[in-house]
Amino acid sequence: MQHLTEEQLVSHYYHDGDAAFAEEHLAVCEECRTQFETLRKVLGLVDQLPIPERGDAYGDEVWTRLRWKLGSNRRRSAYGWMAIAAALIVAFVGGMFWHARSQQPAPSIVAHNAPAPAAQPAAIASASKDRLLLVVVSDHLDSSERMLLELSNADAKHPLDVSSESKRAGELVASNRIYRQTATRRGETRIASLLSDLEPVLVELSHAGSTLSPDELAALQKRIDSKGLLFKVRVVSAQVSGHEAPATVPQKGMDSL
Amino acid sequence: MEMTTDLAVVSRARSGDADAFRQLVERHSKPMFRVAYRMTGNEHDADDVVQETFLRAYRQLQHFEERANFGTWLHRIAVNCSLDLLRARSRADRHYGGDPESAELAGAAAARTDAQQDRLLMSADLQKHVAAAMERLSGNERTAFVLRHFEGMPVEEIGKTLGIQVNAAKHTIFRAVRKLRESLEPIVRSTPCNT
Repeated sequence: MQHLTEEQLVSHYYHDGDAAFAEEHLAVCEECRTQFETLRKVLGLVDQLPIPERGDAYGDEVWTRLRWKLGSNRRRSAYGWMAIAAALIVAFVGGMFWHARSQQPAPSIVAHNAPAPAAQPAAIASASKDRLLLVVVSDHLDSSERMLLELSNADAKHPLDVSSESKRAGELVASNRIYRQTATRRGETRIASLLSDLEPVLVELSHAGSTLSPDELAALQKRIDSKGLLFKVRVVSAQVSGHEAPATVPQKGMDSL
Repeated sequence: MEMTTDLAVVSRARSGDADAFRQLVERHSKPMFRVAYRMTGNEHDADDVVQETFLRAYRQLQHFEERANFGTWLHRIAVNCSLDLLRARSRADRHYGGDPESAELAGAAAARTDAQQDRLLMSADLQKHVAAAMERLSGNERTAFVLRHFEGMPVEEIGKTLGIQVNAAKHTIFRAVRKLRESLEPIVRSTPCNT
C-alpha cells in the first residue's frame, strides 16, 4: 500500500487536498495515522504560541505615535512651500533693489524722495525671519513633545533606559537656548516663556546618563506635570504650526493631523 | 448605539476628517498587531508594522475601493509591511551573519533528553523553542505559513501576496511545515498529551 506523502498530509490538515481519499487511507493505515497525529500535535504546539496582549488603549497609543508621522509629512510639505516663498521673497527683494537703483539718478534725490523702498525690504526681511523662527521652533517643540510624552507615559515603578533620550535632550538643550534667546529678542514672549520652562527638564534629562531610577523618573514626571509642560508645548506647538502654514485654503480635518 | 460602519468612517476620512481616520486606527490596531506579531515574531517589530500599516493606509486611502472590506484591505497592507520587514531582516542577517543564538535554539531542542523535554513543556522555554522554530523559517516561508495556518488564507491568495505561482506557494507552505516539524517533533514525541 502506498502511503500518503508529507504534502498530502499537510494538505489534508488544511483541508486543501482530496479529503475523501486521505480519510479513506488514514482509516486503514496506522503509519500514516501516526504521521498525521504527529503533524497535528506539532501544529497544535505552534497554536499555543501566545501573542502579547495589547490593552484597550493600544489604538489610542498607535494614533498618538502616528499623528506625529502624519504631521511630519505635512511639515515637510510646509517646508517645501517655505522654500518657494523664501525664493520668491529673495527674488522680489532683489528686484526692488535693482529697480530702485536703476530709477535713481543721484543718491541725494533718494534721501528726499524714496525712503519707502528701503523700508519695505527691511519689513519683508523681518517677516521672513519671524516665519523662519516659527518653522524651526515648531520642529523643536515637536521633538520635545515626543520626549515629554514618552517620559510622562513611562512606568515610574521601574528604571527607565534613557540613553538615546539623554543624548537627544543634549542636542535639544543647545537649540532650545538659541531659540529662547531669539524669541526673547524678537518679542515672542509666549514662545520664550515656554522654552524657559522646557530648558531645565531638557538639561536634567541630558545629564541623566543611560538610566533613570524610579525616583528620578517620578521626580521628572512630577516636574513635567506640575508645570503643565506637555499641555503648554502642545498648545504653543499647535499655534506655531498654524502660523507657519502656507496661506492656502485649509482642508477640514486632515490638515490638523 | 450602533457602531458606525467602517465604510462610512472611511468615507469621512477620505474627505479629510482626521477624527475619522483616528477612529479607524483605534478600531483596527489590535487585530493588525496580532497579524504583525505572528508574521514578525517580535513585539517591537509588530508595533512598527502597525504604525507603518496605518501610515501606508493613510497615503493610499484614496485608492481604497469602497466595495472592498476595509479590514481585509488593511490586513493585506499589514502583511505586506511585515513581509518587507522580514525580507529586510533576512538581507541584514545575510550581511551580518544573523542571530546564531536563536538559529541554534531550535536545533538544540532535538538534542535534549526526555526529562529535559518534560520540563520544557511545563515552562516558558517551550514558547521560546516554538518561537525559535518559527525563526528558522525564511521570510516567505513564515508569511505563507502564517497566512495559511493562522489567517486561513487560500493558497491562491498567498501566491498573489508573495508574488509567486500557486504551486510555489503550496511548496513554500510545505517547506515551512517540514521545518517546524523537524524542530518540534522531538518535543511532541516525548509527551503523550501536549495539545
